[in-house]
Amino acid sequence: MESFIFAMFNGVLYGMLLFLLASGLTLIFSMMGVLNFAHASFFMLGAYFAYQISEGLNFWAALIVAPVIVGMVGAGIERWGLRPVHRYGHVAELLFTFGVAYVIEELVQMIWGRVPVPYEIPDAMAGALFTWQGFDYSIYRVFMLVVSVAIFVALFALLTYTRIGLIIRAAVSDPTHVATLGHDIPRIFMWTFGFGCALAGVAGVVGGNVLGTEPAMAIQLGPIVFVVIVIGGLGSLGGALVAALIIGIVTRLAIFYDYGVGSLVLALGLEIDTTSMLRDFTRITTAQVAPVLPYLMLVLMLIFKPRGLFGTRDV
Amino acid sequence: MALIKLVRTFAVMLPVVVVAFSARGADTVKLGLIEPFSGPIAAVGRDTLEIFEFFANEVNERGGVLGGRHIEIVPLDNAMNAEKTTQQLRKVIDDEIRFVSQGVGSNHALNIIKFLQRHNRRNPDQAILYLNHSAVTTSFTNELCSFWHFRFDANVDMKVAALVTQLGRDPSVQKLYMLNQNYAYGQAFQAAAQQMLGERAPGIELVGDELIVPFGKVLDFTPYIAKIKAAGADTVLTGNWGPDLVRFVKAASEANLDASFYTIYAGIPSSVAGIGAKDGIATRLKQVTEMHENDPLYDQQPAELLDTYDRWRQQTGKSIYSERMRWTIEFFAAALDKAGSDDPALVAAAMEGMTMDGPAGPLVMRGEDHQIIFPMVISTMAEDLERPYIYEGDNYEVAFATDGWIMSDAIELPTTCEMKRP
Repeated sequence: MESFIFAMFNGVLYGMLLFLLASGLTLIFSMMGVLNFAHASFFMLGAYFAYQISEGLNFWAALIVAPVIVGMVGAGIERWGLRPVHRYGHVAELLFTFGVAYVIEELVQMIWGRVPVPYEIPDAMAGALFTWQGFDYSIYRVFMLVVSVAIFVALFALLTYTRIGLIIRAAVSDPTHVATLGHDIPRIFMWTFGFGCALAGVAGVVGGNVLGTEPAMAIQLGPIVFVVIVIGGLGSLGGALVAALIIGIVTRLAIFYDYGVGSLVLALGLEIDTTSMLRDFTRITTAQVAPVLPYLMLVLMLIFKPRGLFGTRDV
Repeated sequence: MALIKLVRTFAVMLPVVVVAFSARGADTVKLGLIEPFSGPIAAVGRDTLEIFEFFANEVNERGGVLGGRHIEIVPLDNAMNAEKTTQQLRKVIDDEIRFVSQGVGSNHALNIIKFLQRHNRRNPDQAILYLNHSAVTTSFTNELCSFWHFRFDANVDMKVAALVTQLGRDPSVQKLYMLNQNYAYGQAFQAAAQQMLGERAPGIELVGDELIVPFGKVLDFTPYIAKIKAAGADTVLTGNWGPDLVRFVKAASEANLDASFYTIYAGIPSSVAGIGAKDGIATRLKQVTEMHENDPLYDQQPAELLDTYDRWRQQTGKSIYSERMRWTIEFFAAALDKAGSDDPALVAAAMEGMTMDGPAGPLVMRGEDHQIIFPMVISTMAEDLERPYIYEGDNYEVAFATDGWIMSDAIELPTTCEMKRP
């Protein structure tokens, strides 16, 4: 039982990091209908900016300044790149963000080189906060959890209870009416996009030092972020949270409870034929396939419930 | 600093362009180098090209080969796509290049071996010789062995033999946990280690043996670290490389895992940069290599060689990492001279059984399977060493210190190769 709770706790820690990564993406999609393929690239920019700022100043400055810069970059890209493309429809927008991802990757390689940069956890938070089952949890892990929860609560409150949230949501469902009320819709979209990118920037600052800051990080993280928002339901903030937690917990449980196909065969009272063609199959264990499980869940979700857990629109 | 990096990037790319368009003089011996020069791991290909060009130039400055001819390195980009490697081989044939080298990615190496086996049988007059500087799949010098392939790096089994021999010597190793990448290379590492542990370190208990999804798919290694801790392991043995190694080591350090890490590829400059001094030292990170710059034997090497190393560091702003690439060029040059011809079949015959002086013992190109044999050194990451890692001018303030050498007799393994000679 204790190891189950241990696995659950680890899953929550990992799931909240995934949520932090996906929150900006789902925000942009729900508010603007734009599926931003470059989202993980803004995450990468956040990590690199944080590295550069924490070299000059410190981590806390980076935590504030880096997301702001990423947000400004995002807003600029919306204003001068995405907005002119907008009138050609969603496919054009999709292709545009796809191109942006490649451009950002090349720029990052030109500026910071092709090898990883030494972006480290701040020394003050590297120590162990508590030890559980002989495993030290650093202060930083818990700090990541706190940041993720805070972001979720703040975002939820912002969209549900504030005037800004009201206007943004109205602008999505009925842009002409909101415009006639005197609101500048393109400007709202610009800042929404910028804000979504800034959230990716926060994730970059907080996650870059744990996951490693290198030019390939955007490519590696891109797919899992999309899995989170598709399983959660495109455009649903709560769905992204639930999906991220499910992915986190399921993959952790798969690694801890390392059941194999072979042990299942034995449990059924059958014998393993070591000469059979399926013998490699019996050696597969849940721990080996854990990182692939989210993608399996994605496929199943698209087959049986294409709108995702909490989605209100089609993929 | 950003601007300097930008300029540097172009400076590194320049030779690719210049060499590609420079006059293809008839009196050079061309060596095609097929590596990724574009795409996400272009840095590895460009580093390789820089080493090849530098040491080919050294040979040329000494007077060249075959009575004054120069070795010319012809870079051929495969963008890390195995199909493009085959395309580049067709270009090699069209351009009448008779020697190729490659090492990044065993699937590419396999393509080259199979392609040349067929091509050279059908076109004996246009045979092409392949010098493999780093692709380590053991079968290339066992059941897949070819007369037209020579390997200048130890294969996986030899590297594992060196690591396991050192594990057997280290009395602090009681409980060992293995974690490897679930693809051909990681499985080969696992199988070799399982077999050799019983033979060479029977006192060590294997408390875990795990395969993970490879190539950066695992973002968070924390649950694996928790399992290692729960198993009570004091040592970790892993063949992981790239992000799969960097994240593994960083997660172990963050969770204060008290275990030594035995690896093959910890010393690749990009991995050293990614891991950093703090986490590498906390995990007592070890590597197995043909040599390293802080070994006591370094200063006992010939004076001209030490001069060459100094010039390399000054010129490129990088540490010496891959001695095997220099060996590839040196063996190539020596075999050309010994054969007295640039006919690939004669050069291959000349290279069989050829030996050279290495830092700790002879480098022997075994004739029966074309696998080089040499002593290897295990070293642990440490600070305050005479020559810390430098890469593109950045000082990483950390390097490796020797634990011990494993001599050739402990590394040389029997081969199943049945070589068919033309």
